Order: sequence, then structure tokens, then C-alpha cells
Amino acid sequence: MLQIAKTEWLKIKKYRAFWWVMGITALTYPGINYMSLAIYKEAMTQKSKELVKMLFGNPFSFPETWHTTAYFSSLFIFIPAIVVIMLITNEYTYKTNRQNIIDGWSRKDFMIAKLIDVILLSALVTLMYSVVALAIGLSNTSDPNAATTWQQVHYIGLFALQSFSQLSLAFLAGFLLRKSFIALAVFSFYFIIAEPVAVKILKYKYHNEIGEFFPREISDRLLPAPAFFSKFNEAAYKTSLNDIHYHVYYTLILLIITWAFCFWLNNRRDL
Amino acid sequence: MPTGYLQCLKTPPVSVLTLQGISKSYGKIRALNNLSFDIPEGSIFGVLGPNGSGKTTLLSIILDVLKADNGHFLWFGHPGSPAQRKKIGSLLETPNFYHYLSAINNLKITHSISGRGDAAAIDSVLQKVNLHERRNSRFSSYSLGMKQRLAIAAALLGNPSVLVLDEPTNGLDPVGIAEIRELMLELNKKGHTIIMASHLLDEVEKVCTHVAILKKGTLLTTGAVEDVLVDEDVVEISAANPAALLTLMQKWGAAQSVSLADNRVLLVYPKGTARPEDINRYCFAQGITLNHIAIKRKRLEAKFFELTNN
Repeated sequence: MLQIAKTEWLKIKKYRAFWWVMGITALTYPGINYMSLAIYKEAMTQKSKELVKMLFGNPFSFPETWHTTAYFSSLFIFIPAIVVIMLITNEYTYKTNRQNIIDGWSRKDFMIAKLIDVILLSALVTLMYSVVALAIGLSNTSDPNAATTWQQVHYIGLFALQSFSQLSLAFLAGFLLRKSFIALAVFSFYFIIAEPVAVKILKYKYHNEIGEFFPREISDRLLPAPAFFSKFNEAAYKTSLNDIHYHVYYTLILLIITWAFCFWLNNRRDL
Repeated sequence: MPTGYLQCLKTPPVSVLTLQGISKSYGKIRALNNLSFDIPEGSIFGVLGPNGSGKTTLLSIILDVLKADNGHFLWFGHPGSPAQRKKIGSLLETPNFYHYLSAINNLKITHSISGRGDAAAIDSVLQKVNLHERRNSRFSSYSLGMKQRLAIAAALLGNPSVLVLDEPTNGLDPVGIAEIRELMLELNKKGHTIIMASHLLDEVEKVCTHVAILKKGTLLTTGAVEDVLVDEDVVEISAANPAALLTLMQKWGAAQSVSLADNRVLLVYPKGTARPEDINRYCFAQGITLNHIAIKRKRLEAKFFELTNN
């Protein structure tokens, strides 16, 4: 397993697109969160700051910042998804998937290598989010203590799980379609437009909650909207928090199905 | 004649690769049809056939890139496995490398997966294929010939005892082709087994000890090149008066057939029965002095066309 990881690192470390995308992600996470923070701070300087405080609380101080930052950062999962799709479609484009097998990997080894790639990327984006959340929390909490600072730190785990699940879906798109542009287009369309619209239509037009079991939605509900949304619909907010642990199980099941399918298909396919 | 061939004759052949009933279809197209043959250790084994005969499909199956529909194969008496593939140096169809990586970094990946070779070996094989000067250039900047050389270098990395090469001279200039030929002969002298698919019949004839000829997925013939090439003896003779010589040979009737080509008389005998000294003695006794007498081997090309056009 370690040798497989080392081999994948040899492929990735010189891949410029990987570093560019990681750089963009490293700018995006603090960017979106600091922008939101700036808007909040601006609102707090207005005459209506008491109303703002009553409505929104302080979403950027501990412990709530773990949740708020996770939510905003998770909106940009499609950026690291680009790298995931490129890493698998490149193998098909250059036929290096074939060469890896010829050189001595089993088909299972090849899939383990790709799984390691997705885990690595999930870990990196989770680390980026964690650093941003910690920085924002420390700079916006007047008197941080251990109790409040780490109270909602479980959102790191939820963020990691959601990232891994959604990057796995990106991998699946690349693995099935094998062409980078097509996979990126299909994934982006499905992720940003098709599924969110379908879920909303089912919920509001047909009063059907089946959308919560759609691939993206399953893990999306691991990170519900930040606490200030509860002011608009407290019951819905409480339900979304209660449902998180169910969606942990659903996400794990989806992950198992996704990767089991990929392993099975790779074993059967001609390369 | 490659010395590996003589080695094969001296000792009972051990099969590096055994194919048993290998079949493969792509939809309605039958790519391979019940192929069975053995590849002896220490041979340079050529797999020949027209385009679409199944050569690359066959090599892909034995390297686990494709799954056979039926049949099985054994490497050294054991079913194919990743552990075995690590010990085999392979070049299949096209050079497959990471375009954004240099030659050295691509070979590091080959080494990392296969376990063959080390940093010094990477340097050595790049020198062997004349790519050392461009070792730090990206693969995407290479010409076709350079890409092919890198693929050969990857196959040679770590000095594997078995090489599987699909059109190894593809894209190489005449000097490169000659270098690869010499390299294969040198490796064979050291006991390496080489399995090679090629269209270049001239090269196969110069290099290979054994050959299998495929047509539309079916095995037409297989065996030592000497046995496949020659199923009859052809004696070529000439004299000052070719017409008189032709008439004399036709009257003699010792040969299976007699014909005239380019002012030389060709006498065909069953394989192993030609006696040039008897021919020479008879002609002299009949008053004709020969100025040329030789046993001709049927060229592989002629045999190839003969087999694949039937």
C-alpha cells in the first residue's frame, strides 16, 4: 500500500495542474469565508447592528465558525474535483492505466492507487478548511477557551467525509466517461445544476423528500446551512441537525457502493 | 543464426509461455481463434501476421490488458499474475508514458511499480537506447522515434529475463532498427527470451529463432524459423547455356520440379533430399560444366505471403 502511495506521489508531484488547483483552492477557501466575514462585519458597523446580532449571532467566532466555514468552503468542492477527474482521465488518455498493469500492478492495485489519490485530495482540502476555520475563529472570538474553541470541531470530520464522498462522485464520472472534458462537463452540470434543481422540484412541487437520497444530497446534508439560518425556519434547522447522523451512515454506504462498483468494473473491463 | 537457437536445440525446451485454446472476440469480430502454442526459453520468438491478424490482441492478453474469452496461458508453468509481469519487460502497441514527466521520472514510475532496476539502471538503459542527452526533457517533447526508444528502455530496465515487444522498431530510423536488432541478439546470447510481434519480415528473419504466423486470429504455423521457412530444398544451378541445362535437368527427372528463372535453373526436391554433388557430377558427365550451384532457402517473406494468401 505504501509503495502504491509512493508511486502515485511520483505521478502527482510533478503534475502542474495539481499544484495550480490546490493553489486556487487554498485561495478560495479563505477568500469566500473572509468575504462573508467582511459582509458580516460591515453589517455590524451599521445602525442595525443589534438586529443583525439578534438574527445572525456571531457565525465567525468559536464554536460556530467550524460549522459556518465548513458550509461555505464545501460550496467549492468542484474545484478539487477538477484534479480528481484529470488524474483518472489522464490515465486513459495516455493509456498509462494499461502500462501500470503491464509493469506489474494488479487491477486492484490500480484502483487502490486512485482511491489513495481521492483520499489525499480530501485530506488536503480538509486541512485547508481547518486552518481557515481556526484562523477566522481565533481572530473573531474575544475570549477563546478550550471549551468553546473545540465544541463543534466534529465539523472537521463531517467536512472530510463530505469532501471524500463528493470527490468520489467526481472520480466515478471520470472513471466511467474516460474523457476529461466530457467528464468535467457532465459532473459540473449534474453537481451544480441537475441534482440541486431536481431535489428542489421534488421537495417543493411534489412534496417528496426522496431527493435526500440523491448522490450529492446524501453528503450535502452532512453540512446543513449555518446556525443563523435557523432564524428563518427553526424547525427545519433542527431537523437538518438531527438528520446529520443518518446521513453519515448513508454517505458511508454510498462510498462503499461507489468504490465497490469502480473496483468491480475495472476488473472486468478491457484496458 | 542467433546462438540462442543452438541452445534451444541442445537442451529440451522449457516453455516460457504456454498458450492453450486462447480465443477473443470484439463483438462479432473473432480476433483470436483457439490459439495454442509454446514459446521455448532462450528463443527469440516472432509473432507474424497481416494487419488485423490478432498479434497485438494476443500480446495484450498475455499481459493482462485484455481478458481472453476462452483458454488460458501459463508463464513458466504458472498462471499469469502481477508478480510475474513485474519480471517481464514489455512494450505494447504504443509508448505509454506520462506526457508531463521526463524520461527519468517516467522510468522511476516503471521502477516503482515493477521493482526492476534502480537509479543507476535507469541511467544505463537511457544510454543504451541513446536517450541519455534528453533524459530530463518532457515526454511530450519527444519525436516518435524517441518515444519508442523510451518504451524500449522501460522494457529493458532491470535486465528482465523475458521481453515482450510489440513492433519494437516502429518509428525508428534504419540506424535505430539495426541497433535494436543487435541489442536483441546480444540479449539472446545471454539467455534472454524475447517475444516479438513485427511486420518487418526481413528483421524477423535476421533475428528470430522461432516464429508463429497468424491470419485473422488463426494460427497458420509455428515452429523454428528453419522448419517454418523450408519445406522443400531448392537447388539453383547455372551454366553457359541455360536452355541446354534446363533440357538436361528435365530429361534427368531426379527433381520434383524444374524451372528457369533469371537464366538459372531451379530444381525442387523434398526437404532434406537434395544432393548438390550428385547434380554437379551428372551435369559434368553429360558435358555441361556448372558455373553456379547453391541450395536456396525460401525467404520468410515468400513463405509469409504463401501462407497468408491461401
